[in-house]
Amino acid sequence: MGASSSPGILRTILGSCVGICVYDRMKKVGGMAHILLPNNPGDGNPEKYADSAIPLLISRLMKDGAKKEFLSAKLAGGASMFKFNASVTLGQIGERNIEESKKILEKNGIPVLEQDTGGSTGRVIDFFLEDGRMKVKAGGQEKLFYKV
Amino acid sequence: MHAHIQQRIQGIINNLDQLPSIPDVASKVLTMVNDPDVAFKAIADEISKDQAITTNILKLCNSAYFSKGKEISSIDRAIVTLGIKEVKDIVVVAATREILNKIIVGYDLARGELWKHGIAVAVLSKRIAVLKNQKAIADIAFTGGIIHDVGKTVLALFVQNTFREILDLAQSRQIQFSDAEKEIMGFDHQEIGEKILTKWKFPEVLKSIVRYHHEPQKAPAEYLPIVSIVHIANTLCLMAGVGIGADGLYHELSDAAIKTLGLTNREMEDLYGDMPRVLDQASGIL
Ligand SMILES: [Fe+2]
Ligand SMILES: [Fe+2]
Repeated sequence: MGASSSPGILRTILGSCVGICVYDRMKKVGGMAHILLPNNPGDGNPEKYADSAIPLLISRLMKDGAKKEFLSAKLAGGASMFKFNASVTLGQIGERNIEESKKILEKNGIPVLEQDTGGSTGRVIDFFLEDGRMKVKAGGQEKLFYKV
Repeated sequence: MHAHIQQRIQGIINNLDQLPSIPDVASKVLTMVNDPDVAFKAIADEISKDQAITTNILKLCNSAYFSKGKEISSIDRAIVTLGIKEVKDIVVVAATREILNKIIVGYDLARGELWKHGIAVAVLSKRIAVLKNQKAIADIAFTGGIIHDVGKTVLALFVQNTFREILDLAQSRQIQFSDAEKEIMGFDHQEIGEKILTKWKFPEVLKSIVRYHHEPQKAPAEYLPIVSIVHIANTLCLMAGVGIGADGLYHELSDAAIKTLGLTNREMEDLYGDMPRVLDQASGIL
């Protein structure tokens, strides 16, 4: 994860992890968080968990000159194994990652404008810092998300 | 099922020349290590005959993942310092890199992705083996992790043209991707992998890992624990996006594997959450 200004492309590959692309449409600065799990037990690496990585990303962007009122988010990832026993909690981790990411974004007043989440597909994400668009490649097909 | 594709794959399997090759030293070392009558010195001599691989092996011995601190400059020293099991793993890393470290078109894996996946699965397999009191087989789990998807290198060409059909079938019938591969092409990447290991004269336990990594419950009972280890490591790496290709997570997380190893929900989540560290360690071998 990291926050940097344009020009630049942030790329990540996602399974059950969630990529959170946050962008300031006025300042044109953005950054991406790549989280594996929803909740930080307290002493974990803050960048791995939705509830610590997203606030960290937001404060980094604000340091780069972003204003909270101009920030918006796009989400991708959060896939699940095609088949698993319902008693295995890790099976729901993709869904829990999406849920927690949305919750934290909402808490911070950042709207989620677009998302490509869930299912059992792997995703390669490109986040273009020049205009905040997000390209998602999944199962050999590409989709573009432009809203900022 | 596409009969012509099945025939073409059958043709490749029948004609061993068309399956990938690795340096002979790998199978020789695997056999010698299992033979209590073979002296370490003989193994070191065998490895040292292959100059190119020896250079690579020494580099790996001194890499962050394997190094014990002291500089190692000969295979003899490597065996004394790291132990024969570790050196055997390093031989397999050095011998298989070339065939695994390439673009795997049909599965949509960029250059290096399958290699990174294999190494990450190897590192995590070893870690799971140690965690679940299977330390004695940790080195074999590591070897199996490296090569578990080797069948993809051959099958990719055919998956390229049938990918949509395979995925549609998996979704409509609610079967995992490898089962759908078999329905559409007559073979899945596990079976092709097993054939490749037969050509390489690799031991039965490694063949079982490759053959059953998506369906550990079907493995011979004696190999169930080790196949389960690689199955879990593979699942966690894919969930973390490491080497996830066009087949995505269209696989089954086997309950039999979890129960065989006695993994708790907490342990599964901790192992998954520790993936960034596994990747750090793996990067020392790439
Ligand atoms: Fe596989
Ligand atoms: Fe795999």
